[in-house]
Amino acid sequence: MTFKPDPQIFASSIKEVSFGPEGAAVTFGGAGVLPLYSFDAPIAHRPLVGIEISDKGVDRDLPELAAFYDGANTLAEIAARACTAPGADFLSLKLESADPNGDNIPSDEAAALAKEASDASALPLVIQGVDNVDKDAELLPKVAEALQGKNALLLSAKEENYKGIAVAAVTAYGQKIGAESAVDINLAKQLNVLISQMGIQHGNYVMHLGNAAAGYGFEYLSSTIERVKLAALSQNDDALQPPVITPVAGDAWSVKESVVSEEDFPEWGPRERRGIEMEISTAAACLAAGSDAVILRHPSSVETIAKLIAELV
Amino acid sequence: MALKGIDIFKLTPKTNCKECGQPTCMAFGMKVAQGTAQIEQCPHMSEEALAKLGEATAPPMKSFKIGPADAELSLGGETVLFRHDKTFVSKTLFAVSADEAGADAVMAEAAKIDYERIGERMRVDIIHLEYAGDTAAYVEAAKKSAASGKAVILSVSDEGAAREALSAIKDARPVLNGANPDNREAFAALAKEFGVSLGVSADSLDALHETVQALEKDGVKDIILDVGTASIKSAFANAVQIRRAAIKSGDHSFGYPSLVNVAKLAPGDAGMQTALASLFILKYGSIVVMEGMSYAQALPLFGLRQNIYTDPQKPMTVETGNYPLNGADENSVCAVTVDFALTYFIVSGEIERSGIPVNLIIPDAGGYSVLTAWSAGKFSAGSIAAFIKEADIESKVKNRNLLIPGKVAVLKGELEENLPGWNIIVSPGEATSLVKFLKELDAA
Amino acid sequence: MKKLFDRVFDGADEMYALAEKSIAEAMDELGADAPLAMPNTAYYLANFLSYTKRQVTTVGGLAEAFEEAKAWNTREDNTSGVFKTGFGVFMAAEAIEACKYARGADPYEGNYHGHLSDAEVRELGVPLVTNDIPGFVVIYGRAPSDEEAVDIIKGYQTRGIFVFLLGEIIEQARRRELNMGFPVRVVAVGPDIWQVAHIISFVNRAAMIFGAVQPGDRWELDEYTFWRIHAFVNVYEPVSDLVVSCGAGAIAMGFPVITDDENDMWPVPKTLLIQKDTRRFIETSLEARDIKLKITNVDIPVAFASAFEGEIVRKPDTRVDYDGSRFDSFELVRTLEAHEIEDHRIEVFGPDIDETPEGEKLGIGFIAEVAGKNMQKDFEPVFERNFHYFVNCAEGVMHTGQRDIIRVRVSKAAFDAGFRLKHLGEILYAKIMSEYDTVVDKCQVKIYTKPDDLKRLRAEANEVYDTRDARLKTLTDESVEVFYNCILCQSFSPSHVCIVTPERLGLCGAVSWLDAKATNQLNPQGPCQVVTKERVIDPEIGIWEDVNENVVASSHGNLESVSLYSIMVDPMTSCGCFECICGIEPFSNGVVIVNREHVGITPLGMTFPEMASMTGGGVQTPGFMGHGKHFIASRKFMKAEGGSARIVWMPKALKDLVAGKLNATAKELYGIENFTDLIGDETIAEDPEKLMEFLAEKGHPALEMEPMF
Repeated sequence: MTFKPDPQIFASSIKEVSFGPEGAAVTFGGAGVLPLYSFDAPIAHRPLVGIEISDKGVDRDLPELAAFYDGANTLAEIAARACTAPGADFLSLKLESADPNGDNIPSDEAAALAKEASDASALPLVIQGVDNVDKDAELLPKVAEALQGKNALLLSAKEENYKGIAVAAVTAYGQKIGAESAVDINLAKQLNVLISQMGIQHGNYVMHLGNAAAGYGFEYLSSTIERVKLAALSQNDDALQPPVITPVAGDAWSVKESVVSEEDFPEWGPRERRGIEMEISTAAACLAAGSDAVILRHPSSVETIAKLIAELV
Repeated sequence: MALKGIDIFKLTPKTNCKECGQPTCMAFGMKVAQGTAQIEQCPHMSEEALAKLGEATAPPMKSFKIGPADAELSLGGETVLFRHDKTFVSKTLFAVSADEAGADAVMAEAAKIDYERIGERMRVDIIHLEYAGDTAAYVEAAKKSAASGKAVILSVSDEGAAREALSAIKDARPVLNGANPDNREAFAALAKEFGVSLGVSADSLDALHETVQALEKDGVKDIILDVGTASIKSAFANAVQIRRAAIKSGDHSFGYPSLVNVAKLAPGDAGMQTALASLFILKYGSIVVMEGMSYAQALPLFGLRQNIYTDPQKPMTVETGNYPLNGADENSVCAVTVDFALTYFIVSGEIERSGIPVNLIIPDAGGYSVLTAWSAGKFSAGSIAAFIKEADIESKVKNRNLLIPGKVAVLKGELEENLPGWNIIVSPGEATSLVKFLKELDAA
Repeated sequence: MKKLFDRVFDGADEMYALAEKSIAEAMDELGADAPLAMPNTAYYLANFLSYTKRQVTTVGGLAEAFEEAKAWNTREDNTSGVFKTGFGVFMAAEAIEACKYARGADPYEGNYHGHLSDAEVRELGVPLVTNDIPGFVVIYGRAPSDEEAVDIIKGYQTRGIFVFLLGEIIEQARRRELNMGFPVRVVAVGPDIWQVAHIISFVNRAAMIFGAVQPGDRWELDEYTFWRIHAFVNVYEPVSDLVVSCGAGAIAMGFPVITDDENDMWPVPKTLLIQKDTRRFIETSLEARDIKLKITNVDIPVAFASAFEGEIVRKPDTRVDYDGSRFDSFELVRTLEAHEIEDHRIEVFGPDIDETPEGEKLGIGFIAEVAGKNMQKDFEPVFERNFHYFVNCAEGVMHTGQRDIIRVRVSKAAFDAGFRLKHLGEILYAKIMSEYDTVVDKCQVKIYTKPDDLKRLRAEANEVYDTRDARLKTLTDESVEVFYNCILCQSFSPSHVCIVTPERLGLCGAVSWLDAKATNQLNPQGPCQVVTKERVIDPEIGIWEDVNENVVASSHGNLESVSLYSIMVDPMTSCGCFECICGIEPFSNGVVIVNREHVGITPLGMTFPEMASMTGGGVQTPGFMGHGKHFIASRKFMKAEGGSARIVWMPKALKDLVAGKLNATAKELYGIENFTDLIGDETIAEDPEKLMEFLAEKGHPALEMEPMF
């Protein structure tokens, strides 16, 4: 008896979202099969990989990273250099200086930084806020205004601040937004419904279902993404069909494994390698669960994950 | 469809004889259905009932053990495709690969990875020995590998070499990986003769399926399906389709554990091997063979595996106790939170980031998050106070300031009553505000 | 008296004449080919664009467009003719203003704001769309005094309303040195009525940007301005025909006009209102436009945060102790008609805290009276139960209990900080208005401390409680139109869904049908959703086609069907937070119920945790089911298998708890007196053999019933 394949092809599909300026935009979403199951049916758009930079500069304690950004000192130079990383589909700027628990620079200044990076970037742009609902509510509309015409993707709008961010970014300035909820399928759905009630149509927002690094409660994230994809495809749940973006870098580079020094843990080896492997492992697992885009910090991780995607899809 | 407890109860003698160790036949039936009791424990089941049960409870995927008796490893037995449906059963095993020449070096490297993470010992599970043509050296390498105490996979499709290696280390219960449509009969005989599990590969899923069926006819019981090394794409497609056929379509010929050789899929590229290993932890790799494993790779991979192979209904917990952070001593402030591992990691991470010494006290809170534990009554003023007394914190720490999570501010008053002499301080509701809060508290 | 419509038409003629003159002068001076545009906009002359789709770029183009606009000055003696005229007036006004801008970028040289840039439209548009700015007002004319001018502007400012000023009021405000400008949300648009064109241009562009309204689509534009732009107009007397014609346009867009001028004015409810008392313009206006203000802070002299929720005010620290266990006390929510309530009125009847000796014990009662278009009496107990949390959040104030067994303590520290009884009212007012803003439009609070009042009002309150309890009794699964689901637990039990019915509360015991209903109405996207029950399959077992459809969707495909009244056929799943589990006891044909608190073993040979591990996780386990304590006495409790007569064993504490109601149900259904006497407990038997002896001796009805499987 021969093997009878039983492909799972769904009548519904993930919504497509494009961002980036006209002529240079990238598109993700669109799949009508489970994540990476290109053997069941062709997948419209492969998952995307973004390279993350911070407005606070580059961690030059990491030798490989320092070498990659050698000579790039201003934000514009760093942004331009990041865009040359092999495999990077988009640039993601984290506006760290605006964090109220940190430097807390005014939103106008942060928006100007976003503009500076954007003007220097050859790739479509994602802007990551500061993960503080009040500051993001003020900051992201300013960024949206500063980046008119760039069709940038702004992360993120949460339940506490989605109204202002959604209306300003999408309706007033034609940008895209990420709807962020805390690793829970129902919260994600609820936020999407609320956003759609503001008159924001599919194609203008993506989902950000939370973060976790491998080993740190990652099962909650992966199971949530898997359940969201299953509901979107098999239940045709319209409110769970936007593509999923997962910023991996932040968590991957802040867990103990990527933070402690080689002096303290000599058997663990160089810190940079640990951070890269943590990024790679987490990103690959996110893609397996169903993320349609991941954001990584190290050019070496970006290259590996881009290659993995190219091999699979 | 698994049998419900009540259906199993119907087949019991209904005498409550207690010989199975359960007080009632009902309890026994429920536990068999749950998988915490075995049907064989009932001495009074009729043949007819056993046959009926055996058929209905036959798992969609075979499970068996490999490796030496004192360190045996489980494979297979999965019943679902997604962990949110039910806990995955046999965690992905990691093998490092070498040929007869490189075995010593690889074994020495692999031995370095050995540490504990949340109660689980993390080490390379298996030595994967690739036959390169020198039979005598191969047999020697096999012996050394077996002596290392780890399980061994003999990756060899040469019958003669296979026989010699098997003869040398059969007591270590190695896996013989090397059967294919051409050598099937001979390898089936070897597997039976030495009582080992047999890895099989073929050029296509069709051919693999047919070969497995032939092996089953040959009488081979424990089979491992090698997903092949033609390309990353085909290895992934095969791993998914094999598992899906077994679980979703009930195709018993594909109801066996899988083996993915990422060493051959991405030779010389450690990063890509990490990526592939991570992919196959989620998507159906039972054994993942790598070229080697550094700590940098082991840390995320073992962490990821530990996460994925958890009970979706039951959260991971950390041990109860007092965790002195940032060099906390008896004069440092105390803080309390729940034993849910995720909460612990987040809270301890933020405290570490603040640099302020804190005694982080973790009582038994049933492994729930703060609010859930509180609403389930497992994180109450009474239980916190009881733990502080029981763990004798008061004689170990002189500081009488206790920080409680902002989400359970409601406990403040009651805690003050239950813990006379303590000053209860309500912390922020979100861990992200902890650094700032602790610094301000420290400055005040 | 001159007819209102005639005033509109005469005013329109005036505006058109002014426009005609302006255009003629511009043609002479600048020529037809001279460029003409408003600064910093991509929307040409937005009023012309919106109404006629014309993209005016030159003086000549304006002249042409204006010829077409003349047709809008209809003199048609009907509503649609008048409304169209109003729009025509806005084009004429825009023409006048455009001619000024054709001569230079800023005709007002910074003295007035004039035209709003697209950036300003976006900046102001976003908070208007999100309701962070609840609306805007256009004030025209001369206020009765400079002082009053400032008061009304500040009054709107403090309520978060954006203010556009036209005409003399600007000078009045300037004389009083009022700070004006975009950042403080007060904009001096211009000295004449025709500068209204800039405000209308703002509205029209907002509709195109935020509402995707296409130029020329009058119907969409009307819809958008009526529903989405919460604007209104205040005009001081005297009101000229010219101003009336602009008012017609405002009204056409759905913006009510409020004035104190009675001459030749024809009031229309909700649309054109005469308020002689100009000091009440704000109140009248907000009500006319249905603008509800957001309450964000609680105005009390002590801190207010959930961090103080668990604080206990101890006896030595207590300034006053309102003790419901010794003195008549109560708390109550009452629904009234909107006109019966003065929003934010807080009254204290009887001695306040400072008029009470230190440490004194006495009684207290508070009544929150609410009104709202969507308010329902069923929400009253839901609000009331939350008083406890609201009051506790104040630092130094403690609240326990509910209904007429409450206790409130105020600490000495809170008293010294200035806390008085009216602040209790402030807390209740602010929390009710912010937490329940979807259903409550107005609220006032009354606080009583005199024994006579308390005695009388407590009796009244008790009548209300009794009525509510009686209503609960009449609520049956058959008497209601819909059920609700509850997916609160899905964060840790992803496939579980509770179907909550009047006779079957959520298995956690915390969510009744009324709670679910209120949760749904207060938060329509929240965890409780309506479940229809129109297509019945089996009323005995409790199966509905539409309930099953909902279960499939809300469990994300994990469950296919649920029977509400059976524990054998597709029983409802459990998340893990059930109060009780019942499981079948095969030897007696009955069921055993065990509650979470019970630590011992049951006659099934299993403890609560063992049974819980088999029943939880959103999996259907025939023969076992999690449920709330109050479900035990329900007539729907395993109705399909014969109902509560099947219960053969319960822990004693649980049996005592439910005895009253369960015995009543058993009497009604089976005619059995004191049914709980027939039920075993841990003091009687912990194994099936002994239990059987007991049941046989008592003649328990389950023994005679059909086996369940």
